[in-house]
Amino acid sequence: MPQHAPTGDLQGDLHGSTYGDLYASYTERLRARGGGPDELVGGSAESRAVLEAAIGTLGLPGLLAACAESRRLIDEDGVTYGVTEGVADGSGDDGSDGGGQGRNWIVDPLPVVLAGAEWTSLERALEQRALVLDALLSDIYGPRSLIRRGIVPAEVVLGHPGFIRQMDGLSLPGPRQLLLTATDLGRDADGRWVAFADRLGAPSGAGYAMATRRITSRVLSSLHRSTRLTRLRPFFHSMTLALRESAPAGVDNPQVVMLSPGTGSETGYDQSFLAMLLGFPLVEADDLATRDARIWIRSTNRADQVDVVLNRVDADYVDPLELRADSQLGLAGLIEATRRGAVAVANPIGAGVLENPALALFLPAVAREVLGEELALPGVAGYWCGDSAQRNHVLRNLDSLVLKPIARGVGMAALPGWELSAAERDDLRRQIQDRPWAWVGQESLTMSTAPVVTSTGLEPRRFVLRTFGVARGDGYRFLPGGLGRVAPDEAAYVVANAAGALAKDVWVLAGDEAAPSWADDRKLDLRLVPGADEGAALALRAAEGLFWMGRYVERAELTARLLRVADDLIEDHASWPGTPGAAAMEVLVDTVIAVTGAGRRLSQGLAPRSRPLDVVRALVSDGAIPGSVTHAVRRLVRGAQEVRDQLSYDIWPVLSRIERTLSESQTHSQSQAHPQSQLDHVPLQPQLYRVLESMLAVHGVIAENMVRDEGWGFLDGGVRLERALLTTSLVRASIAREHPPIMDGQVTEAVLEACDSIITHRRRMATGEGPALPADSAVDLLIADETNPRSVAFCVIRLAADLRLLGDESLASVAMSLLDELRRADLEAACAGDRRGLVELCDRLDNALRDLSDRLTATHLRHRTTRQVPLADWSKPPLGAGG
Amino acid sequence: MQSDADFTTRRYEVRHRTTYTYDDDVTACYERGFLAPRETVSQRVLESSAVVTPEPALMATHVDYFGNHSSYVEVRTPHRVLDVNKISVVEVTWPRAPVAALDEWTVASAAAWVAESVDPLTRADFGLGSPLVTLSPAVASYAALALAPDRPLGQALVALYSGIYRDFEYQGGVTTVRTTLAELLELRQGVCQDFAHLAIGCLRSVGLPARYVSGYLETVPPPGKPKLAGSDASHAWVSVLVPGSPDHWVDLDPTNNHFADSRYVVTAWGRDFRDVSPLKGVVTTEAANSTLDVGVDVIRLP
Repeated sequence: MPQHAPTGDLQGDLHGSTYGDLYASYTERLRARGGGPDELVGGSAESRAVLEAAIGTLGLPGLLAACAESRRLIDEDGVTYGVTEGVADGSGDDGSDGGGQGRNWIVDPLPVVLAGAEWTSLERALEQRALVLDALLSDIYGPRSLIRRGIVPAEVVLGHPGFIRQMDGLSLPGPRQLLLTATDLGRDADGRWVAFADRLGAPSGAGYAMATRRITSRVLSSLHRSTRLTRLRPFFHSMTLALRESAPAGVDNPQVVMLSPGTGSETGYDQSFLAMLLGFPLVEADDLATRDARIWIRSTNRADQVDVVLNRVDADYVDPLELRADSQLGLAGLIEATRRGAVAVANPIGAGVLENPALALFLPAVAREVLGEELALPGVAGYWCGDSAQRNHVLRNLDSLVLKPIARGVGMAALPGWELSAAERDDLRRQIQDRPWAWVGQESLTMSTAPVVTSTGLEPRRFVLRTFGVARGDGYRFLPGGLGRVAPDEAAYVVANAAGALAKDVWVLAGDEAAPSWADDRKLDLRLVPGADEGAALALRAAEGLFWMGRYVERAELTARLLRVADDLIEDHASWPGTPGAAAMEVLVDTVIAVTGAGRRLSQGLAPRSRPLDVVRALVSDGAIPGSVTHAVRRLVRGAQEVRDQLSYDIWPVLSRIERTLSESQTHSQSQAHPQSQLDHVPLQPQLYRVLESMLAVHGVIAENMVRDEGWGFLDGGVRLERALLTTSLVRASIAREHPPIMDGQVTEAVLEACDSIITHRRRMATGEGPALPADSAVDLLIADETNPRSVAFCVIRLAADLRLLGDESLASVAMSLLDELRRADLEAACAGDRRGLVELCDRLDNALRDLSDRLTATHLRHRTTRQVPLADWSKPPLGAGG
Repeated sequence: MQSDADFTTRRYEVRHRTTYTYDDDVTACYERGFLAPRETVSQRVLESSAVVTPEPALMATHVDYFGNHSSYVEVRTPHRVLDVNKISVVEVTWPRAPVAALDEWTVASAAAWVAESVDPLTRADFGLGSPLVTLSPAVASYAALALAPDRPLGQALVALYSGIYRDFEYQGGVTTVRTTLAELLELRQGVCQDFAHLAIGCLRSVGLPARYVSGYLETVPPPGKPKLAGSDASHAWVSVLVPGSPDHWVDLDPTNNHFADSRYVVTAWGRDFRDVSPLKGVVTTEAANSTLDVGVDVIRLP
């Protein structure tokens, strides 16, 4: 790649010098590294022009602001990456298996820009590679003639732990076995792309690539709009179609699921985002059941057979009956179902045998054998130690080669020979001599650099590209570009997420012949699901997640409303003890404690005679108290993450903002720098207002952006049930207590305000509508008024409708009979005298609602208490044959 | 001691009953096992049946990677007792191991023949280490005692099984499925499975492919005592790939200090125990405890 001077055609006069300065210091740093290919300097004129526009327009301050904006958006979208395994492999060179918490994804704002022509030729080479790997996979689990004929050494396949003998002879319907591919690429010293690893067992990262595009397209929105880019979206559409078409023969409208090792796994975000892009439910093993060697979704009310599994569980763990017996991530019988052709698993279980640096060395020979072609995409030059001459070369050159075992196992990684101590090198030599066939020595790959924005300017760092392919028709289609990653610092050789690598969007410029396709990728078609009208059965896990989301969003909202009113009263009356206002204030604080059920936890955490303000403050921000706003919001967010694939994308910014607000306030109140006296001056109202605003936004998303299906039934059912329960409890703790008339009015008004029914109440009192006494009117509004969305009766009606959405007529009729009871209840009599009647009514309501909740949970959300456990096997048969 | 009578043709009925008992309901049970014996050069299968109680929703058998009859059993009737009862009738004729012919080879020349003439798949499957047979310097040095390169092959194989028989004490409950060969070499105690794994490790260490054979052995009660029902056992031994034998595989039993004879009934073979575990499974249950009861009868038919 020849070096070019900056063209500068897109930069204004104001920014010309900025670009020139940044570019000059960048090329200076490149020279200091000793040259080598670079994605900016060596790019084509068109691709350089795009980056020049970005750098020139923004300048360093603008680029740094873009970094900050990118961090903010990632935080909002909740894009995280865990650190145990998965995409962590980067160059496959780290092997660190971390084990810490997930961290936020990091995106450098500057994309890597590839010219259309370069991408097209790379795509062709990738397609050929995919075809060769596919043929190899078919042979490995079929006739194994490539091994028999010595094209591929037997040890490299049969000695690889990824060769799953239980899959022998099994194949997917359709022309391709390798449905999905992922390949890690870097450039050699001449700037040519070189494949250094294939990720084929359960390829990950396509979701991250799309997430990265979503970030970059917003951070550099005007450039993104004005650049003719090849869109990413059609690839995911192809993937959806390919997976559906891989269903067993004769299935008309196949049910596809993505099998995940759990939302907590390191690529959990990638999985759930991809599931959403593809329109398939994300399930875990215990959402599935095997019956008659067929796979079913353990659904809430009907049985849906699974036809295709997009698998993200490691092969070893995928079926505890056939493979690792201690696996809780897999499903007993999955392989038998595959064997009987009842389900298709993509990629096929056992495709991981192709993730094999030794096999990569034989790909050119395989290509000649199966396609009669030379391999267009070179791999990294290397030597297989199973061959004695090559082994000798490796052993002589340990200090300049990268040593890789054929399979990555625990504690086994690629070892750059030059980083090893003499003792380590001796140990390695012994290991190679013991099992020579299991080792490969690779030449180190140069790799290109790409500019990364830092506070001191643009920094060149090593760049790795992961591409993604899917089998379509006669060949493969690829995600244009892919997922780019750069090293965590300027010196690093290893580019791995676990080691702190940054992601880069990869832009592929649309060729002139291409149709205008630079439309905004942000406009995700969230419900692009062929046959979505049918709707998939809702997995138990998803149903449960949605139900609890509904309950917690309502709990957070109502609690915040109550606390806001309590805080108002405290502000007005706390300084005037003994007044009716102060008494009303105390009633309301007691009510909050009763409604949140936080009494015991509060008394543990606070001094015996705490001030009301401390109580209120704790109930806002102390996440350790069940019933506090922070607690409810955290549960809400956790629940939402569990069912990410079910939710509108709009919900994430709302949730992440509110979570941040609350965690800030918690840090605030816990910090030693804020003694009590100072804390009093930190107003609660803005925080409570933000919580309310967020919960209203969540309600809005639920109401306006979600299809009225079974899932919505659970979500809305959770909201209605919680509101009915809390409102009942609120009325019982406040209005149902006997107060002196002068207080009664204030308590009633406060409660009505908390329930957002005060305006209606005042209007009715003024016009003489409804009951004459304020308390009677309030109770009517909050309990029986079927037109007030805040009333128990309204909630019960909605709950009945939700239960019907779940197909549960019998529970719906239980709800309706509760409504009948409400309609028959004589509220005026209940409110008379000491209001004991009202207490009794509230207790009856509370019992009935709890009973409904229990029955709903038992019928639809029965959490599996049983587990898959391995039978004791006959590992030690009793023997009488001891001679 | 083996006599000529041990190499005559005979028929056996093999009954193998396994009973699992749980302290709570099992709602679903998935099993994989080898419920029918495989045909071999020395064994014809005349009858074979397996009865599972409660009645399975599905039972299906396929021929696995190694040529064994592998069965999938799915029971979905809630139960606290699961019974797997398999009965097979086989006709066995096992020839004497051709020790003299084997002695025309040495360990080293046999290994060279293997490298030269045996197909690469068989060589890799049974020649490399496997999950329960880890090759290590410790195994190699134990192997060197019996399998010296220039030793005549027949004598070397005898030295291997008799060496293990001599050096190791038969003792149940000392080893587990996770005991490694290196640990076994320290313990010097174990059961047939351990001895088979060790012999396999030794043979593979010197370049001779070896497989793990799972099956049964007819036992004879002490003189004057009647044979007790259920007193026989499942057994495991070793098959090694060698030149100079008609079938190229010779079976030896380090637990009983001889080559296999017509008392040996084969169920299945693989790289090690893990490939041929007679019955394994996964159950869905809240039960905390289960007990296992096994009874085997190898009955010689008239």
